[in-house]
Amino acid sequence: MKELINWAADPIRSFPVVCILFYFMMKYYRVVGTKKFLGWSLVFIIPVVVWFAADPNFFTIITLPDNIPIVILIVLIGFLQWFTFYKAAINDNRLDEGLGPIEGLPENREKVWCWPNLVYTELFMIIAATAFLVVWAIVFKAPLEEPANPTWAPNPAKAPWYFLGLQEMLVYFDPWMAGVVLPGVVVVGLIAIPYIDTNPKGNGYYTIAERPIAMWGFLFGWLVLWMYLIMVGTFLRGPNWTFYGPFEFWDFHKVVAEYNVNLSEFFWIKWLNSPMPSNMFVREFLGIILSLGYILALPPLTAMTSYGKKMIESVGQIRYYIFIVLLLLMVSLPIKMVLRWLFSLKYIVALPELELNL
Amino acid sequence: MKKLEPGMAYDTKKLNKLFAFLSILFLMIVVWVFLDDYIRPWKAVQIEAIKIKQAKLQEKYELAEKDINKEKLASLEKDLAAAKASAQEKRAEIIKVDKEIFKLQKFLKEETITSGVLNSKVSATNFQFEQAELHHKGHDVVEKYYSMLTDYKEKFAASKDRMKAYQGKEKELKKKAANLRSEVTEAEKSINKLVGTRDLIKKALAQTEMGPIFALRNAPFVDYLDPTLKIQQVVIESITDDRYFQQVPKVDRCMTCHTFIDQAGYEDQPNPHKTHPNLELMVGRDSPHPMKKTGCTTCHGGEGHRVNDLGSTAHTPQNEEQRKEWVEKYNYHPPHRVAQPMLKLQHTEASCVKCHQGVEFIPGATVLNEGRQNIEKYGCYGCHKIPEFEHKRKPGPSLLKIASKVNKQFFKNWVWDPKSFNKHARMPRFFEQSNNNSKDHPNYAKKNVAEVNAIAEFIWEKSKPYRPFKKYEGGDIEHGKELVTSVGCMGCHGVEGADEVSEKVNAYAGPYLTGIGSKVDPDWLVSWLKKPDHYQEDTIMPSLRLTDKEASDIAAYLLSLRNKKFENFEFEPLDKKLRDEILVTYFSAFDTQAGAHAKLEKMSDRERTLELGYRSVGKYGCYSCHNIDGFEGRGPIGPDLSVEGTKPLTQFGFGIQHDVEHSRDGWITAHLKNPRRWDIGIDKPFKDITRMPNFKLTDREAYTITTAVLGNTSEKVPLAGVKRLDADEKIVAEGMQVINKYNCVGCHQIDGERGDILAAYEDDINEGPPRLVGEGHRVQYDWFHYFLDNVYPIRPWLSIRMPSFNLTDEERNKIVAMFQHKARQKTLVDRSKVVNWEPGERQAALQMWDELACASCHSAGFDASTEPTAPNLYFAKRRLRPSWIKKWLAGPDKIMPGTLMPSFWMDGEAASDVLDGDADRQLDAMVKLLYEFGTDNLPTKNTKFWSKQ
Repeated sequence: MKELINWAADPIRSFPVVCILFYFMMKYYRVVGTKKFLGWSLVFIIPVVVWFAADPNFFTIITLPDNIPIVILIVLIGFLQWFTFYKAAINDNRLDEGLGPIEGLPENREKVWCWPNLVYTELFMIIAATAFLVVWAIVFKAPLEEPANPTWAPNPAKAPWYFLGLQEMLVYFDPWMAGVVLPGVVVVGLIAIPYIDTNPKGNGYYTIAERPIAMWGFLFGWLVLWMYLIMVGTFLRGPNWTFYGPFEFWDFHKVVAEYNVNLSEFFWIKWLNSPMPSNMFVREFLGIILSLGYILALPPLTAMTSYGKKMIESVGQIRYYIFIVLLLLMVSLPIKMVLRWLFSLKYIVALPELELNL
Repeated sequence: MKKLEPGMAYDTKKLNKLFAFLSILFLMIVVWVFLDDYIRPWKAVQIEAIKIKQAKLQEKYELAEKDINKEKLASLEKDLAAAKASAQEKRAEIIKVDKEIFKLQKFLKEETITSGVLNSKVSATNFQFEQAELHHKGHDVVEKYYSMLTDYKEKFAASKDRMKAYQGKEKELKKKAANLRSEVTEAEKSINKLVGTRDLIKKALAQTEMGPIFALRNAPFVDYLDPTLKIQQVVIESITDDRYFQQVPKVDRCMTCHTFIDQAGYEDQPNPHKTHPNLELMVGRDSPHPMKKTGCTTCHGGEGHRVNDLGSTAHTPQNEEQRKEWVEKYNYHPPHRVAQPMLKLQHTEASCVKCHQGVEFIPGATVLNEGRQNIEKYGCYGCHKIPEFEHKRKPGPSLLKIASKVNKQFFKNWVWDPKSFNKHARMPRFFEQSNNNSKDHPNYAKKNVAEVNAIAEFIWEKSKPYRPFKKYEGGDIEHGKELVTSVGCMGCHGVEGADEVSEKVNAYAGPYLTGIGSKVDPDWLVSWLKKPDHYQEDTIMPSLRLTDKEASDIAAYLLSLRNKKFENFEFEPLDKKLRDEILVTYFSAFDTQAGAHAKLEKMSDRERTLELGYRSVGKYGCYSCHNIDGFEGRGPIGPDLSVEGTKPLTQFGFGIQHDVEHSRDGWITAHLKNPRRWDIGIDKPFKDITRMPNFKLTDREAYTITTAVLGNTSEKVPLAGVKRLDADEKIVAEGMQVINKYNCVGCHQIDGERGDILAAYEDDINEGPPRLVGEGHRVQYDWFHYFLDNVYPIRPWLSIRMPSFNLTDEERNKIVAMFQHKARQKTLVDRSKVVNWEPGERQAALQMWDELACASCHSAGFDASTEPTAPNLYFAKRRLRPSWIKKWLAGPDKIMPGTLMPSFWMDGEAASDVLDGDADRQLDAMVKLLYEFGTDNLPTKNTKFWSKQ
């Protein structure tokens, strides 16, 4: 069983599984968002967690002082996500019946004083959070480590937990892409949301049915591409950033067979059976065309579909194209991951001469 | 549900309660923070230390109390009472004097003020006067200041004068007062003399008291002011820690818990309060390595600045047992990723090398010295670069003319398994190991056989012809055995038939002499014994100046030692198919398989065998230990061990050997015991299997070599911190290299060190080779130089002989210089100036010569009828330094314990009545006498021992 879980936890297999789970979760959120579901989930999950934790290797990983925030994070995200579904399910059911959302009921629209209702409770939270952090700092002391040695870096060398998703992306992308462009797009994209999303629905109340694209798109990016990758980076990546199953001992010497090939090498050597052209742009022309086509040709094409037309009508051309480009950039990540797993594809465009690899 | 006020989402009372709860919780957490910061494990240790100190002081106090003579104290106290009573009588007078002194104080103080004011006025006026002169302020101004200055100076002088008068009077009065009180002070002084020690201890005891002041000084919040419980540390500027970006001064806080480490008297305490076990050499204030200058982690390693707990400081348990004990007692965890944890206690001496470099021998570092001796013995430095061993000669014998010494069959069997011929062989075993034995790896073993055959062919092909200059014509085996065990062979060789002595001496410079009859050519042997450098020019084997008869007898004995079993071994012949197969793997390293085969095809059968031989000699590094034609200048085949002690643990290949302790020393020791073990369970092709041979080391040898290897680190101690050899020590270090090369220490004990063969002369140490104590002071520079090249018998009654070494001029000079500089004697003796008789001195010397019967032992040249049992004194003039003769005569036993020479002038007492019984003058007279009749000629090998010339 443990062997099977170790085997299944590899991103090659667990990523599709997580995607499918995400699909079902979103599709049946009204089932998920019930207290009954939560109760049964706990009944099922708690023994499983206990069984997991009984394994010394797994226990070592989750109790590492650095990893405790991630454990807390999983619990919190799990609960908050369920809470969202719970609230949204109630509202969406009411909306189906033609009633307004609960938050819109007259008794919930009544206004209260800022003091003490807000300020006082904020003070409570400040004290409680400080107390929690102090206790945490006492109980899990910051480790006293050896002086930094440039010739003997820690292995695995891990980023702070909130960057582990990005670090996981480094496996699939050039550092320039994974380290600069993609995080930059994430930040810019998040900033741009209020300007792109002008739909007033869902303001002030929980709903999924009224905002399918926003909810599906955002939650996929957040849960699958961000949280899931952080968990992989934290718990499943060991020395040399090699994958280790949850019950696997982090053997420093583990070696994994991986040899990645560029798209241009596939094209010229494998398919055309000819030497590589010496001009780098000719050499990489297929990748360049595909990439440009993906980012430049796809948006206008989607605009021609009925769905695209409808959206342009409601939000306008500029908003639509910005949205679709951001979405395409986000989706490029899972696309590249799948290509890597299926074909050991290294880079679609490999221009090391220009330090430009996609 | 309670109805809430309008505009309110929560009940205010509930909110207030929640606020109160959170506030109290937070307050408690703040207290927790302070306590967590305040409670440190080392504080408990220090309190424990104070208690130990108290107990010790209490003990001392009681002893001191017991020491006080109670009766005497009582009588002294009675005296004091009487003195006080008599003082009472003079009370009025005393009070009067005291009052006068009191009054005088007022005048003294007043005058001090007056003179102080005047003094400053003199200075200020002087400045103004000089300024007026400088700036030509005009006659009047200058004149005005001048008169003022004169006036002040006069007044100041008058004030000083008055002061002197007051002071004189005060002195007089005080003396008077003291006189009146003298009886009381005297009595008090004698009492103090009696109880002073006790009172001092009492004071010290009071200082260790843990009372309210102690509690206040160490209380939380205020303990930053002046705590008594605090972290103790030494900062050592001259020794640095490598922080990778910077070398920072070493900070050691070990003494925070090891509270009495530098104080004698706590040897009986358990750790960490124990005194350092070697306070005279280490840590002690007067030792060469005081704590404040050397620190702790300089030698022990570990994280000296940490005081958290036993684990974080990188303490390393000595063994599994101690580790378990620590885990149980102190919750010990090895530290997280510390590159250089503390050395295990038994390996601490490794650190000596960090500061003591360029010397063959480090006094006091017994394990390290033994380890280095073992490295030399087994010739590890042949294949590995090891610091301090770079200058050593190849450890194995030359194979340049081997064909004339042994036969090929012997050679192959020997290479295959040296220990089966000679169980003391130092040549290691390459074959039938865990990664190439014929049981688990039959194919590899067969290939090994092909390699050994090819090596033999190659060596024989390269071997130069040699013709022994003597023929062996038989000899007296019994007499030969006697000679081997007595003339000195055993200083370098163990000998079969004298196994008990061999074991005691444990000589290793030459091979253990066993089975020689099955090994060497008889003519070769007898020629070798007569003149070793005839066969090998650079041999360290000396000539013992054997006569033809002696050489034949020794040869006869050695040839009688045979190893029949070994003789009957048939070595498997060369398998040509396997030979070709191995050659193809060599050729295909930079070529295709087809190319390699083509290359092979072009070679003749003989060429192929020789090629494999050549390749195999290179593969196994035979040339690292033996001189082999065609391999001059090839680098060593083993890894460089220069920084093995700091090589990251992750770079040690533990293979799948899980029972080996995961530490540097664990790996090295395991590797030394069986170097091939890392290949077990690992799939490796024949050409890649580990080649380090098996030396069959004992546990002790592996342990000591590990210590020596661990000392080679990349840690750099600044020049200010290392031991720098002075001019003398440098010459000594250089000379010691030559001494060790020729194994002089195999026979001679030099200033108390080595002298291996003396172990065979436990019954009478005077029958063994002379011990060299301050030899550079004993003998004259020029004589020594002459003697090394022209050995003549100084003590002919000894059966052991000083050999004639095949020294180069440079080496001879180095040896002589080494002894001279070791004894700090650098000058030649002006022999012409020694004899300068004072009146009657010569007569006295002659009288003492007779009285002390010098000639009864030193009879050579004096009394032909007595067999001499001491050196010929006619030759002393050229040999001995006059100052040494004097020192020797004054106390021969002090220089050389157990010598036969009597101590006539024991402890400075005169040996005779002559020269007014003045020992010093008597000794001078004897020196002059020896110099007067001594000959100026140096003896030659033809000089008769008992002659005067």
